[in-house]
Amino acid sequence: MSNDLSRFLMSRRRFGALAGAFGLAVGFAPTLISRAFAQAKETADKIIHGKSPELIIHNAKLGVTETPLELLRKHKHTPKEILFSRYHYPHEGNAAWYATTAAPPAELVKNWSIRVDGLVKRPRTVTIADLQAMPQEQRVAVLQCAGNGRSFYAAKQKVAGGQWQNGGMGNVVWEGVPLKPFLKGLEMEPSPAARWLTAEGWDQPATRVGTDFAKSYRLDDEALDHAILALKMNGEPIPAIHGGPVRLIIPGFYGNMNVKLLTVLMLAAEQSPSTYQSMAYRMPLVPVEPGTFGANDYTLENSRPTYGQAIKSVIFSPLPSDSPKSGMVEITGVAFNDGMAPITSVEVSADGGKSWHMAKIETPESPWAWHHWSVKTRIGAGEQTLMSRATDALGRTQPINGLARWNPRGYEWNGVERSAVKFA
Amino acid sequence: MMHQRRHRSRLFTRAGGVILAAMLPSAAAAAEIELPPGPNRDLVYGTCRTCHDLQYLKDSAGIPKNAWSDLLDSMKQYGLRIPPDRRTKILDYLGTYLGPNPPPAPTQAAVESTTAKVDGKTLFNEQCSSCHQPNGAGLPGNFPPLSGNRDLMLNRLFPAYVVINGLQGKITVKGKEYNGVMPSFAHLSDAEIAAVIEYVRKSWGNDALRPADMAPLDAAAVAKVRTTPKTPDEVHAYRASLKSSR
Repeated sequence: MSNDLSRFLMSRRRFGALAGAFGLAVGFAPTLISRAFAQAKETADKIIHGKSPELIIHNAKLGVTETPLELLRKHKHTPKEILFSRYHYPHEGNAAWYATTAAPPAELVKNWSIRVDGLVKRPRTVTIADLQAMPQEQRVAVLQCAGNGRSFYAAKQKVAGGQWQNGGMGNVVWEGVPLKPFLKGLEMEPSPAARWLTAEGWDQPATRVGTDFAKSYRLDDEALDHAILALKMNGEPIPAIHGGPVRLIIPGFYGNMNVKLLTVLMLAAEQSPSTYQSMAYRMPLVPVEPGTFGANDYTLENSRPTYGQAIKSVIFSPLPSDSPKSGMVEITGVAFNDGMAPITSVEVSADGGKSWHMAKIETPESPWAWHHWSVKTRIGAGEQTLMSRATDALGRTQPINGLARWNPRGYEWNGVERSAVKFA
Repeated sequence: MMHQRRHRSRLFTRAGGVILAAMLPSAAAAAEIELPPGPNRDLVYGTCRTCHDLQYLKDSAGIPKNAWSDLLDSMKQYGLRIPPDRRTKILDYLGTYLGPNPPPAPTQAAVESTTAKVDGKTLFNEQCSSCHQPNGAGLPGNFPPLSGNRDLMLNRLFPAYVVINGLQGKITVKGKEYNGVMPSFAHLSDAEIAAVIEYVRKSWGNDALRPADMAPLDAAAVAKVRTTPKTPDEVHAYRASLKSSR
């Protein structure tokens, strides 16, 4: 092919134009650019209006971004500008409106409706105005991508998909209409055969043959007792990129379970056939090994959806980028779980697990919120492995070997936190 | 019953979205991501970007071939439709060049020697059909049709600008509105771009739309288009200027 050179020149021009805008020096050689997976420097604010340019991008076309811990730790409640985001379909064409941290446009909100239907005598349609007129409650809860920490599974066998570190989470104040009283108040007379609640959003796959996004929950799951149809996030209308005008929030559940752009609630005898319920976002019931259990081997019998969050802790300070000094050091971080039992301890090690110190845990804002913890200890110069391990009243704790929970889609990482930090 | 109801409510709210989309500036197109050169890389470019950009592939580099195979299978549920022979070629590329032990970057000559003969129809099926559909009919609302699409004949070079640079922004094709992002296909050679555009211009009755004096595109003409790169937004503006001057 005679024009490979022009092809590379094309790449260089594109790269140069974009990189130049960000003040980057651009070196160029065809082999170098290929080997290095050359990529023009895209920033999150260019993909989603209002997002911080400092976010990590996992997929520009789908608006998938992660928060660096340096930003995340600055805020008690994670602001919309830095909260991680993850959609499953491109925000293009008719869906371009939700690529922003602004609230959805007023006309859209005015015309928005939620269909409540299924095995009921009287199906209902509810508007945002209807919801706004109902009593509202607040839930402070950790929103966390089920894939948060996926990159750590690579120590056993790399898992395909966005290589999330620890920043696919945030501590968020939600406000809205409690789900159970809402359903009861509609007086729909559901059939006793209705055992599942399915939630669907407005967003649609890129092609017609793609599976629609839907999530199903057991109606008798006690987590639903705390669920709300949220209209506000951090005190203002939910940003479009985070699922406004209305998002189902089930405190303690992984992010994907909190259906954005809610348009349908269905009461049914069975769970949704959507691939997002039946195959994606699931965990095997027993430990599996790479090569013996593949990404399409999930069944309703051998796996479960990624419902409640596995107990987890993350070290916020010191981070490797802090370049801390040796001596007496305060180690801080957060812990959280599914909210079903209080977190009773966070143990911290500054010597790779040889010795452990009990951290002091602050009273959390809610059972589902970040539990801030801190501990002071003497740390010598050089590179040290900081570790943290949370345990709750049910005895649930973070596995020392998080790789034991390896799974082919890379969900629910909650291994004991390890962070190599160099002390001066 | 369930499906019908759901569909109706979706159309209803979508209608609101169509009007309102114009009020927001469209998000910037994803920057082009380059994968390591190797045989059949073009197939990956022509297939995977329908639904997501290539960063997922780049970031997944290093997983074993069987995991790539599983991934291709799971993509079926998200809408991937490819014939078995193309699947095999794509899997060979992914398992080799994005596998655990990728070979060193091939020389320019090695990449060139693997390039198949230039055939417009094959190229169309491999590079364009996952969005525009094998019959050129597109998907209303998502991907504009190429059959009966008068943009193909705006001038001799216009389609080459679209293929090389991509196109972003609201357009109306055969009475339907589209507001998507077409990525750049600059990875194709000049001869390939000329061949695929001429294939589209001759297919599905499109030849009836062609002005009698429009000369066929050739590699040299495409090469010229390549020397004046535009952003996808600029291609959109260029289209508008051609439309208004007609």
